[in-house]
Amino acid sequence: MSEEATVTSEEHIASAISDEVVITFEDVNKWYGEFHVLKDINLSVQKGERIVICGPSGSGKSTLIRCINRLEPHQDGHITVNGVSLDGSVKNIDAIRSDVGMVFQSFNLFPHLTVVENCTLAPMWVKKMPLAEAEKVAMKYLERVKIPEQAEKYPGQLSGGQQQRVAIARSLCMSPSIMLFDEPTSALDPEMISEVLDVMVELAESGMTMLCVTHEMAFAKKVADRVIFMDFGEIVEENAPQEFFENAKVDRTQLFLSQILAH
Amino acid sequence: MASVESSSGDVIVFTPKASKPPPPTTVGVLGWLRENLFYSWFSTIVTFAALYVIFITFAALYQWGIADAVWEAESRRQCLDTSPDGACWAGIITWMNGIIYGRYPVGEQWRIDLGFILLILWMAPFWFPRLKGKIGIGVCIVATYPFLAGYLFAGGERGWFMQFTVMLAVTAFINSWLHVVLALATGRTLGEWVVSLTGFAGKHERMHKYPIFGFTAIVYAIVYFFLHDWSVVSVETNLWGGLFLTLLIAGVAIVTALPGGITLALARRSHMPVIRVFAIAFIELFRSVPLITVLFMAVTMMPLFLPPDFQLNKLVQAIIGVCLFAAAYMAEVVRGGLQAVPNGQYEAAKAMGLTYWKSMNLIILPQALKLMIPNIVSNFIGLLKDTTLVSIIGLYDMLLMLKAAGQNPIWIGLHTEPLMFGAMVYFVLCFAMSQYSQSLERKLKTTR
Repeated sequence: MSEEATVTSEEHIASAISDEVVITFEDVNKWYGEFHVLKDINLSVQKGERIVICGPSGSGKSTLIRCINRLEPHQDGHITVNGVSLDGSVKNIDAIRSDVGMVFQSFNLFPHLTVVENCTLAPMWVKKMPLAEAEKVAMKYLERVKIPEQAEKYPGQLSGGQQQRVAIARSLCMSPSIMLFDEPTSALDPEMISEVLDVMVELAESGMTMLCVTHEMAFAKKVADRVIFMDFGEIVEENAPQEFFENAKVDRTQLFLSQILAH
Repeated sequence: MASVESSSGDVIVFTPKASKPPPPTTVGVLGWLRENLFYSWFSTIVTFAALYVIFITFAALYQWGIADAVWEAESRRQCLDTSPDGACWAGIITWMNGIIYGRYPVGEQWRIDLGFILLILWMAPFWFPRLKGKIGIGVCIVATYPFLAGYLFAGGERGWFMQFTVMLAVTAFINSWLHVVLALATGRTLGEWVVSLTGFAGKHERMHKYPIFGFTAIVYAIVYFFLHDWSVVSVETNLWGGLFLTLLIAGVAIVTALPGGITLALARRSHMPVIRVFAIAFIELFRSVPLITVLFMAVTMMPLFLPPDFQLNKLVQAIIGVCLFAAAYMAEVVRGGLQAVPNGQYEAAKAMGLTYWKSMNLIILPQALKLMIPNIVSNFIGLLKDTTLVSIIGLYDMLLMLKAAGQNPIWIGLHTEPLMFGAMVYFVLCFAMSQYSQSLERKLKTTR
């Protein structure tokens, strides 16, 4: 992980946290069959807060954020997003999904649509926005992720970094209040990681509420208001980034940090 | 990296090498021949041996089918007297009408021609580039053409329903072509013309449908005025036959197989147990039973379950049987295609807040169908050939008409030529479908 190359400034960007709580987990438990993947998760996220979640693979960190827009249903406990309870009601799920953007590890752009069509699809079909307006919005966000010139291309013609930036723009087109990132840079070549992280840093500066599963520790230091370390489906430790990296309290966290920061 | 300017003297500037062309003996026709046919002395021998086998096969076929063939004769006897070792195409030519139209009355055969010509004319706009409203034309065809064609082929009295749908079909046909001509000539659609001419252009978009409805009603009234008394005599379906019947059954089955298959495949993947179990039962039942059995069931068993005065048409029963069978097979093809779409696509669609049906229609099915084109078309090809089985329940499709040729007293024993001719017709139809599917694949190919 080339920290210095990806995020140049070590300075932590100013946070814009308000008192309003937008996401709460109360004693959430989840199982895949017999496998207990989330154990008694309690978490609350405030508006404008930027949270980085890290941990070894299989620790449940992806599952945790996928519960927020119910890509994964939880079996026990309560999750509330923007005051709406995720209880299996289709109406609630749709309301939350159109207000929570998600960026995936494997981009998941729609390969049969052009970049701009990828971006206009959800605003047109979910928010009933007219085509002209949707295209204007799409171009605005494609400019923000710095690839307006690729609008007419198909995703397969773009590099991984460009695809991931399109995926971010596509989520932003729905003007979400919360953005979820599920290892957004893990499938990228090292050369392309920084261009995606730059977009994410810029997004953080604009005050977006962000939950980000990532191993980019430099990004965490620069952007995060809180770092959460998970293992075996539990939140092992959560702390402000400086505390987290310099004085981790739990031995498991120290071991993890020593492993990923070793080189 | 070539453009990097080095400020200090000890940095080496990297410049990529220029590309050179490949050696001339490895490219082009010469390269291909060398690589594939004359690579070594052994491959040269094999090449010549294969060429010889091809030559003698085709020479014999040419001798029989063209050089020694008889094209004009009164009977099989005369054929044999003229050229005993040649093909007797005269018999095929004499029987041609029956092979194409079955026992359909000669004086009424123009109706079949008209039906097919109308369909081709109606579908022609699909191949015009940059034409707006193709989907609308497609919907018109699917919704109204079956009634028009059904009436043209069957004829007889029209009830109020058939009267309405046949007139509507003619109206839709006229509107479709009016739209095509206007759109190609002026670049504006028929709807836009109607809206602007009636002065509705300034009003809200929601109001635009009223002048369009009005225009359609006027065209309908004109069509009704000219055609409401028009009728054609009834032709019983047991007289239908030949290539016409083959294309009719295969066409109906092909058109219904895809929507039926998609519905069944989605039902089979549904989370609702009743729907899923029903779909699995239907698909497995129809797939595990030979088509012949399905046809026999449709014709002999179904009447037993229906009230005695309920008269069913044998052709309709056969078509229903073939359609159900085709849908069950298509369902598994579609399911395969749905599984080939990565799970991430479903998740991305869900995460954006798209509902199940929207994500299916906009995201999943377009990708799945594109992946499935080769399988779907081979299914269609199989279906076209499977229609020959309807001859077993006494429908005179093309194969049975071809066999009948050799049982006629004048042409008795004429078996090889009709089958040869049938094989050629089927080959042309199936090969055309296969080529079309390949061109469709190329057209829809985008880098994934």
